Amino acid sequence: MDRVETIIEVQNLKKSYRKRKSKEYIHAVTDVSFKVNQGEIVGLLGPNGAGKTTTIKMICGLLIPDSGTITINGINNQEKRLKALRHISAVLEGNRNLYWRLTVRENLEYFAGNRGASRKEVAQQVDELLETFRLQEKASELVNRLSRGMQQKLAIAVAMLADSDVILLDEPTLGLDVETSYEVRDLLRSIANDYNRTIIISSHDMDVIQDICERTVIINGGKIVTDDKVDNLLRLFEVRAYTITLGGVLSEKQQKLLKLTFPGAEYKEDINQSSVGVDLEKSEAIYDLFDIFKLEETPVESIDRKSINFEEIFMKIVKGEMDDARVQSS
Amino acid sequence: MQGFNLLKANIRMEYIEYKRYLPNTIAMLLTFYIIFIGMFAGIQLIGDPTTQDSNVQFVIVNYIFWYLAMIVVNAIGWQITNEATQGTLEQLSMSPMGIWRIMLARLISSTIVSFLIIVALLYLSMLTTGQWLNIDIITILPILILTLISMFGLGFIIAGLSVVLKQIQAFLQILQFILAGLTFVPLTVAPFLAYFPFVKGVDLVRAVMIDGVTLSQIRMEDFMILGFNAVFYFFIGLGIFLLCERVAMKKGLLAHY
Repeated sequence: MDRVETIIEVQNLKKSYRKRKSKEYIHAVTDVSFKVNQGEIVGLLGPNGAGKTTTIKMICGLLIPDSGTITINGINNQEKRLKALRHISAVLEGNRNLYWRLTVRENLEYFAGNRGASRKEVAQQVDELLETFRLQEKASELVNRLSRGMQQKLAIAVAMLADSDVILLDEPTLGLDVETSYEVRDLLRSIANDYNRTIIISSHDMDVIQDICERTVIINGGKIVTDDKVDNLLRLFEVRAYTITLGGVLSEKQQKLLKLTFPGAEYKEDINQSSVGVDLEKSEAIYDLFDIFKLEETPVESIDRKSINFEEIFMKIVKGEMDDARVQSS
Repeated sequence: MQGFNLLKANIRMEYIEYKRYLPNTIAMLLTFYIIFIGMFAGIQLIGDPTTQDSNVQFVIVNYIFWYLAMIVVNAIGWQITNEATQGTLEQLSMSPMGIWRIMLARLISSTIVSFLIIVALLYLSMLTTGQWLNIDIITILPILILTLISMFGLGFIIAGLSVVLKQIQAFLQILQFILAGLTFVPLTVAPFLAYFPFVKGVDLVRAVMIDGVTLSQIRMEDFMILGFNAVFYFFIGLGIFLLCERVAMKKGLLAHY
């Protein structure tokens, strides 16, 4: 059962590079293990030099790991590299992965040919992809005349044409304008849902990751620091910081009590109203706060909760605050 | 069938590039023609008048083979360097066909597509000099095929080195002169060169085109050397290419960007 569901299994991957003109080694990946299930969209994140691209290239069979194994659809990609490559395709450098002197259609046909398919065999698929990626009108246009967004879409279409189970994308929205970035996100969602492909995305754009990935694997210093669902991480790092606007001011007794119960609370007075900023360690503590307001029947006008985005979560994880978040959550 | 589709895709790409960038193709043709005119003028001006005709014929065959060697051996090096810089080499390396098959398809397709240019150059040079060579297809074809196989082996070596070495451009510049040396030096001057890739083949083609030697007149020993060179250099070349590919995959050299 597990073998059917798991499409990629990475175990104890290690990779070091020797520095130029030196005997020292750079440990790009020190110990990476994770699994990806069929149809999942997984985000591979990490700061620059964390080991993301090295990991992706090892999965693609472009780099040989020092140790560890990678199985793609049950096939060890070091023992049966070419067989494993039938199940995988990638866009590693976006628009640079194309032949700029060929047209859109010629690129699709050429890459299909290099995987052993004839133009006739892929003709229908090429037409469908041109339609899906809204490139029909540009089919006869040379790639060097296309916008970056269109080139990016074509690179993804080329990867799609491989008919592989897994597609790896390194920075798929890098350098794209907002509109094209959203278009690419929709395409990726459609690839996963409609075509049941597994997608692994490496990106610095946390919006993209939060928007389309179900799960994220965060690498830092060549090691995995987090492997969890995006929703779980959002819940885990959910902050309990509130700003409560009151329709009056607090009495001296209330203020003393507030300071005693919530030492970190920030109380501000304005004309006919006031506000309390408080960071609650436990969600139940909000009742204690309301007891203080109730003491003098101070009306509560609004409660605002500070939101946290995925970028902040990523930064916290990279800084090693994952364990603190788990302790607080439990 | 997959191998045939791979070859067709590469022939088509080669043809498209030649056709789409026709001014480049014509400029390349003219450059080679001008080089030939220079050689021809040199023979006319300072060559021995008694051997002028045979010298011209010798130069025609040599320079046609030089062009062929440049297309097969040198061009693959430049292609790899460009593709590694551009980022397409990694895409090709992810093909389940294996990059060596793609490289072989590239070598064969560039030879096939360039053949038209080679024929044009040959007839243009014969027309210019008035020296009409013996074009005995039946005799030339087997020699040419065996010679090309050894050239492909050399092409594989250059392709492999281009994958591993980022600064190979300087060597590729020098290589065109090494190739010229191998095609222009007659075997009578340096008989040991018979065991170098394609030198024996050029020598035999010279014998056919200049002296009118026929297939039945070629010694079995010569064919043996030709056959040995073809098999030896092809497999040595392929082995070196696969080794270079593995080194590149260990050191992360498939992309030079």
